[in-house]
Amino acid sequence: MSISALLTQYGDRYLQALFATWRLTAFSFFGAVVIGIVITVLRVCPISPLRVFGNFYVQVFRNIPGAALLILLVYALPYLNIVFPYEICVLIATVLIPSAFCSEHLMSGMNTIHPGQIEAARALGMTFFQIIRRIVIPQALRSSVLPMTNLMVATMLTTSLGSQVPLRPQELTGIVSYINTRSAGGVTAFAISAALYCLTALFIGALGGWIDRKVRILR
Amino acid sequence: MNRPEIQDVLYEAPGPKTRRRIRLFTILALLLLAGLLAAIVRQFAVTGQFQPKYWFFFARLTTWRFLGEGLVTTLGAALVGSALAFGMGFLLMRGKIRGNPVLRWLCTALIEFTRGVPTLLFIYFFFLIVPGTGWKLSAFWKITLPCAISACGVVAEALRSGVNAVPKGQREAALSLGYRETKLFYRIIFPQAIRFVIPSLIAELVIVLKDTTFASIVSCADLMQNAKVLISNYDALLSIYLVVAVIYILINYMLNRLSDRVARLLKGGGSAERRAA
Amino acid sequence: MAPTPMIELRQVNKHYGRLHVLQNISLTIGKGEVVVVIGPSGSGKSTLCRAINRLETIDSGEIFIEGQPLPQEGKPLAEMRSRIGMVFQSFNLFAHRTILDNVMMAPMDVKGISKAEARKEAMRLLERVGVADQAKKVPAQLSGGQQQRAAIARALAMHPDVMLFDEPTSALDPEMIGEVLSVMTELAREGMTMLVVTHEMNFARSVSDRVLFMEGGCILEDSPSEEFFLQPREERARAFIQSVQESRK
Repeated sequence: MSISALLTQYGDRYLQALFATWRLTAFSFFGAVVIGIVITVLRVCPISPLRVFGNFYVQVFRNIPGAALLILLVYALPYLNIVFPYEICVLIATVLIPSAFCSEHLMSGMNTIHPGQIEAARALGMTFFQIIRRIVIPQALRSSVLPMTNLMVATMLTTSLGSQVPLRPQELTGIVSYINTRSAGGVTAFAISAALYCLTALFIGALGGWIDRKVRILR
Repeated sequence: MNRPEIQDVLYEAPGPKTRRRIRLFTILALLLLAGLLAAIVRQFAVTGQFQPKYWFFFARLTTWRFLGEGLVTTLGAALVGSALAFGMGFLLMRGKIRGNPVLRWLCTALIEFTRGVPTLLFIYFFFLIVPGTGWKLSAFWKITLPCAISACGVVAEALRSGVNAVPKGQREAALSLGYRETKLFYRIIFPQAIRFVIPSLIAELVIVLKDTTFASIVSCADLMQNAKVLISNYDALLSIYLVVAVIYILINYMLNRLSDRVARLLKGGGSAERRAA
Repeated sequence: MAPTPMIELRQVNKHYGRLHVLQNISLTIGKGEVVVVIGPSGSGKSTLCRAINRLETIDSGEIFIEGQPLPQEGKPLAEMRSRIGMVFQSFNLFAHRTILDNVMMAPMDVKGISKAEARKEAMRLLERVGVADQAKKVPAQLSGGQQQRAAIARALAMHPDVMLFDEPTSALDPEMIGEVLSVMTELAREGMTMLVVTHEMNFARSVSDRVLFMEGGCILEDSPSEEFFLQPREERARAFIQSVQESRK
C-alpha cells in the first residue's frame, strides 16, 4: 500500500492515534512525577517504616515488566472484585512504572548536592523546611532536567502498552496492528507510526536539552 | 571522596523533642502499613483467592519445571538479545565516532530511530510483516531480534559515552608511542571505555529481559506464555500471574544489584578512572 | 563579677564509636577574644569547633553562648545559630545561586530583612572582602580564595556575635591563603570574637590572643599567643610547631 493511499484511508485515525499517544504520555508523565516526588519524600524521611515502603515501591515498579503489570491490572484485579476500565488500567501501568524511575532520578539529583551546603545553611540559622525549599529542591530539580527528559521519552515508549488492550481511540502502536489485520498496510503502516514516535522523542529531547542549558548548575 | 547519602545529611542529629516525634510517627506509619496489608489480605480472603485450588499446584515439581522451562527461554532470549544489541550497538558507535560523514549520519539516524520507537512496534513488525517476506524465523528469533534492535541504539550511546570518558591524554600518549588509529582504539581506548559502561550494559539486560515478556504475541514459550498455559490448566489466574510477576521482579532486582555492585567496584579500583574524575 | 563569656564549654565529651574525640573539654572565650586552635589532624579540633553551633552533637557536658545554654533543636537552635557565623574548609557556597544571592539569602529567609536592604548590605560586605566585582557570578566561576572570602561575607551578613573558622585556608592553593587571612586579620582588629581552627602559625602568632593546642581529644595547652610561641609548655606542642614550620619551607 502506498503512503498516500494509506493516509487517505487511515489519515484521521493516525492523527487520533498520535494525539492519544501524546495525551497518554502527558498524563502519565505528570502522574509519574507527582507520585515520584511523594515516593522520594518517603524515601528520605526520618520515619524508617516509610523509608522501607518507599524503597520497596521503587524496587517493585522499577523491576516489573510492563506487560506483567498490565496483565495483573486488567485480568487479575477483577478476581479481587476490583475492576478498572481499560484506559485506566493502561494509565495506572504507565504511571506506576515511570514513577519508580522518576524517584531514582530525583534521588541522584539530590545526591549531587554537596552535604557541606546543607551544613552551611544550617549554620546560617535556616530551618529544615527553609533548607529543603531554598537549597535542596531547586538544586535537585535543576540537575534532573536531562534524566527527566529521558524519563518522558521512556514514558512515551511505555504507552505502547495501550496496544495490548482495546483502547478507543487507539494509540500509535495499536493502530498499526489494527491496520495490518484489516488491509495489508505493510511496512508503510509501521513507518508512519515509527516516524511519529521518533519525531515526538526528538522534540522532547530538544526541549529538554534547551531547558537544561538554561538552568544547569556549574560545579 | 566517599560522600554520605543525601537522606543522612538532610536531618541533623535529633533533639529530645524531635526524637519523641519520630517515635510517634514511626508507630503511626507502622499501623498504617499494617492496615494496608490487612486490607489486601482481607480482599484476597473475601474473594476466595486463598482457596487451596488456586495454590496447591505450586507444591508440584511439574509446575516449577514447566515455569523453569519458560524461564530458561526468557533468560536465553534476554542474553542472546543483549549480545546482539551489544554487537549492533558497537558497530553503530564505531560508525558514529569514525567513518565518513554519510556513515556517521546514517548511524546517528539509526540510533535515534531505535531509541525513539517502542519495542512493541518492532515486535509487531516481526509478527505481522516479516512472515510475509518469506523470511522463516522461529518464535524465539521473532521475539529476540526486535528486542535486540530496540536496545542497540541505547547500547551504542552508552558505549559512546564510555569512549568519551576515557581521558584525552590516553590517546595522545598512545599516538606519541606510534600507535595507529585502529590498534589504538582496540588496545587502549575501548578496554578502558568498557569498564565505564559495564553497569549500564547490565541495566540494559534488564530492559531486554522486560521486553521479552511480549513473547506470547509471537507464541514463543517464555515464562509469561507458559504461565498462560498453566492458568488454563488449573483455572487459577491471579495466583499464577502474581507468582510470575514476583519471579520477574526478583530476577531484575538481582541484576540491578549486580550492576550497582560492579559500578562501585569499578569506581573503587582502576587508577585511570580516578584521574578522569 | 566577671563579664559573661561569649562561649563557654563545661566538661564536654564526645565519642565516635570507641574513639573519644572530645575528652572533658572545658573552655571559656571572652567577648572580642581571638582564639586559635592548633593540633595534628584527628585531634578533635574541628569537632570542637563544630560542636559550638551543634553541627556535631555532644554526649555529655554543657555549652553556653553568652550565658544561654545551646538549644538542642527547632527554632531556638536555628536562632542561636544565626548569631554564630561559620566558615568552612570547603567554602560550601550554594552552587545554584550567584555570589550576591548567597550573601542575601539568609538575612532575607532567616531575619526577614527586605530585599533592597539585604542587597545593600550584601554589596557592602562583598566590597569589604574584595569580591564585589564577582557578585553576579556563580560560585564555580570563582577561585578558591574568592569563594572563601564570599563565604566570610555570607556569614558576616547575619551580623554574628562570634565567628567560627574551621580550617578556612586548608583547601586553598598557597597563593590564595594570604587574601583570606588578611580579611580575617581585619575582622579580628575590629574586635570580632573568633575561634579559628588552622595550621597557619603566622596568623596564630600575629593575630590571636590565645592558642589552644589539642591532641587526642584533649586541650594540652591553653596559653596567650606570645607565651605559646616563645616558650610552649608542652613538649608535644613544641614538636608540632616545628613539624608544621618545616613542612611549610
